Amino acid sequence: MQSNDTNAINGAGSGKDPEIRTHIGKWARIEGLPIILVFLGLIGLFMIAAPKTFLGYYIYMSFLSTIPPPLILGLGLTLIIAGGEIDLSFPSIIAFAGFVFAYLFKNYQWTWAAFILTILAGIIIGLINGLIITKIGMPSIIATLSTGFFWTGLTVVFSGGLSYNIAELEKLNIYEFFVHRIGGIFPVQSLWALGIAVILWFVLNRSAFGEHILFMGDNLQVAKVVGINVDRTKIVLFVLMGALSAFAGLLLTIENTTFWATQGSGFLLIVMAAVFIGGTSIFGGQGIIVGTFFGSFIVGSIEAGIVATGIQGFYTRLVVGLVLLVAISFHLFMEKPEKRAILANFFKFHR
Amino acid sequence: MKFSFKVLGMFVLSIACFFGFNAADSSAQLLGDGMTIYFQMGGDPGGAATLPRTNGARDAAKAFGVKLVEQYSGWQQELMIKQMKEAMAANPDGISIMGHPGEGAFGRLVKEARGRGIVVTTGNTPLPGLQATYGAGGFGYAGVVLYEGGKITAQEMISKGGLKKGDKVLVYGLLSQGPRGESTRGMKDTLDAAGMTVDYLEISNEVNRDFTLCAPIITAYLTKNSDLKAIGTQHGGITATLPRVLKNAGKKPGDIIIGGIDLAPATITGLEEGYITAALDQQLYLQGFLPVVQIVLSKKYGFAGLTTNTGAGVVTPETIGALVPLIKAGIR
Amino acid sequence: MTLDRNHYECIVRLENLQLNYGKVEALKNISFEVKNNEIVGLIGDNGAGKSSLIKVITGVEKPTRGKLFVRDKEISFKGHSVKKVHDLGIETVYQTSSLGEKQSLWRNFFVGRQIKNRWGLIDVQKEKTIAQEMLLEKIGFRGVGITVDSPISELSGGERQGVAIGRAMYFDADLIILDEPTVALSLKEVAKVLNFVREIKDSGRSCIYIEHNMYHVYEVCDRFVILDRGEVVNVIEKHEISLNQLNEYLLSLSTKKSV
Repeated sequence: MQSNDTNAINGAGSGKDPEIRTHIGKWARIEGLPIILVFLGLIGLFMIAAPKTFLGYYIYMSFLSTIPPPLILGLGLTLIIAGGEIDLSFPSIIAFAGFVFAYLFKNYQWTWAAFILTILAGIIIGLINGLIITKIGMPSIIATLSTGFFWTGLTVVFSGGLSYNIAELEKLNIYEFFVHRIGGIFPVQSLWALGIAVILWFVLNRSAFGEHILFMGDNLQVAKVVGINVDRTKIVLFVLMGALSAFAGLLLTIENTTFWATQGSGFLLIVMAAVFIGGTSIFGGQGIIVGTFFGSFIVGSIEAGIVATGIQGFYTRLVVGLVLLVAISFHLFMEKPEKRAILANFFKFHR
Repeated sequence: MKFSFKVLGMFVLSIACFFGFNAADSSAQLLGDGMTIYFQMGGDPGGAATLPRTNGARDAAKAFGVKLVEQYSGWQQELMIKQMKEAMAANPDGISIMGHPGEGAFGRLVKEARGRGIVVTTGNTPLPGLQATYGAGGFGYAGVVLYEGGKITAQEMISKGGLKKGDKVLVYGLLSQGPRGESTRGMKDTLDAAGMTVDYLEISNEVNRDFTLCAPIITAYLTKNSDLKAIGTQHGGITATLPRVLKNAGKKPGDIIIGGIDLAPATITGLEEGYITAALDQQLYLQGFLPVVQIVLSKKYGFAGLTTNTGAGVVTPETIGALVPLIKAGIR
Repeated sequence: MTLDRNHYECIVRLENLQLNYGKVEALKNISFEVKNNEIVGLIGDNGAGKSSLIKVITGVEKPTRGKLFVRDKEISFKGHSVKKVHDLGIETVYQTSSLGEKQSLWRNFFVGRQIKNRWGLIDVQKEKTIAQEMLLEKIGFRGVGITVDSPISELSGGERQGVAIGRAMYFDADLIILDEPTVALSLKEVAKVLNFVREIKDSGRSCIYIEHNMYHVYEVCDRFVILDRGEVVNVIEKHEISLNQLNEYLLSLSTKKSV
């Protein structure tokens, strides 16, 4: 009897036990399934170890109010990385956009006009990024690192490093529009984030633009050869990221009714962690929106879960690092058909 | 089964032990038994400005039988807000926060917490408005009265350091960071009033977090300003870095007077060697210990919030010796 | 855009083409043409300029100087892009850079020319169905375990060429450019490719066939254009030369270089 391993190595596996293969295959095709399982597993663990916190609704509502900004950043970053690029300037867009909105509100009481100008600011920053990358030919990692410093610096200069308290916003429509609590408890910004996730999924996986991003990240030469306007695609991509980052900054500023000159600076690593935990490869050519979605929830909830279980605060970084390593290793494992077949083999043996 | 005296004996003995232990327990009931406190430590785990605070909080928790949940935010304001929400989800007995995010951001959350009977208090950086509103429910402050602290440090720099009118002094601080900038303001005002020529530099976000990065900045400043007589700061990490920076620039102790804050190991050495003239002692340990006490007493007996100025005074080269063993233990 | 299929002399003609990469002259004042329904073998050593020539025709590179005529009408290089070239009825099958490795077969088939539904999104069902039809039925793809969803990385070299050629066929080009299509193919696959080239001729279309292996290219071509260091050194009709003579001539060219 031909061993399943031989079939596995040939990448075919159509010979023996097609039933098993299609079974695992069907589940494996659900986008982001491994990460959804990891997330549910973690929550389950937290429920057992810290029932007082995790069996009530409050903690989840708190997550839904704090995770949307980094989540939206992660979704945008997924597209950028799928396109073979990177953007390190988004933390500074969070700060700059927050400043624009807070400044306009505080000094002119503008709300919706401030909103439009905030998004516009993000678009312009993204456009500048895109132009530097395409016209000057600077690699995106260097370009966005530099522009990031620039916009952070500009924010500190304009704001004088001061934080702006805009608590009066609470009474206004715009506050309700973006951070209203449905039923008094459910934060509406999570619905905004969900909506953006759905739209971006369709953009990446079902639009021509998204397909161009994928091919660009896969192989730049191939992309050119099949007729993709690479420069234009890159510029639009970074403009999109700029707009999304500005929106995330807006949600953050409105939720906290405060602008801090340093806001967003802690987001760089956690957003990237969320994207990679979600299964998107650093090499480009694919982007797993669902993975980033749940990866963001994992990264956003893990520290809270760990401290609630009573594990001393000093250990949280350690555990976060471990989860990251395990999750990403798992993804790399599942990517290869021969390893998937080993897993299928395992289940067959235990039937 | 055959009856056995041995088994009966064991059984009786274990019952006796059970009651015995319980009896022993009930006589040593601690004040904070069964309480849970969420404590925001501020920086990163084990960080210089954070470790003594952590130890203070842990010691207090142990002394009162409290379950302490530590939260670290790397001084990121939006993270502090996030952690407050997560603390509230656990419905603890008390939450200790810091003033950095400001009253605009905390207002709503503190209101909600108080509505649910959670005691809220603050340390390190004050929230005067909220303290006024919720003081009766236990909202206190354990930290340096920042303006005073800066003032005292500057005064010590002038008197002990022998600064004269017109002397050039660099103040390296965080003037723009709202309440936190008060300490720098106190220092600067005092030096201005004494007639010094004060030059001001703002600490950047990067240096604030990674203070060794100040070295090239200060070195550059020194080479450009050879007539500098003193450097004053109210940032603990920078205080610790300055002695080495001066040494590397070829300065001897006393060439340039340093006035700083906190007692990091390098600061101690700086004091012992005479590079540092005065370091404000925040007594960070107390900033961890006292909020726990505040919460336990307010929760149990309804006491009001107290303001304790932990910035007792400055440590000088003369007084540092006695403190060294305590500092090594991460207490001071 | 109406393609005037029969009323032209040359499907493609280049006049005085110059392409410089900085100081390097990749193409030196080249004049080159492919007639209506003609198979032209483009031969030359590595670095002779074959790829550069193709890149100029297909809009991937812009030349320093020169003119391009498609179906006897001059085409401006301004705005000349791969997309335009596809509209003009010219398709290319590259040796290695035709397909995105990580992307699925059906995406590779339609990328740049996506079939859209009424929402402006890609009609995935339609694309998959057509790709399935083309590959399995028309080209006779029998790759085990390969479906239209398989990423290109799971295909063998021959299967990849099959996809690229199938794509060119589907989009019904008048000029098909093959850039060393038989490299790393099994004998059976090579025969398929050569048959396909014959089919191109039989269906009234033209082809530029770049190849190293004389035994393959001699069979199916009408004319040979030989490039050496960016210049056209010779143009020979098939009936003017035998396979052996062609081989000898090329050998003499390369030895002349090493002198």
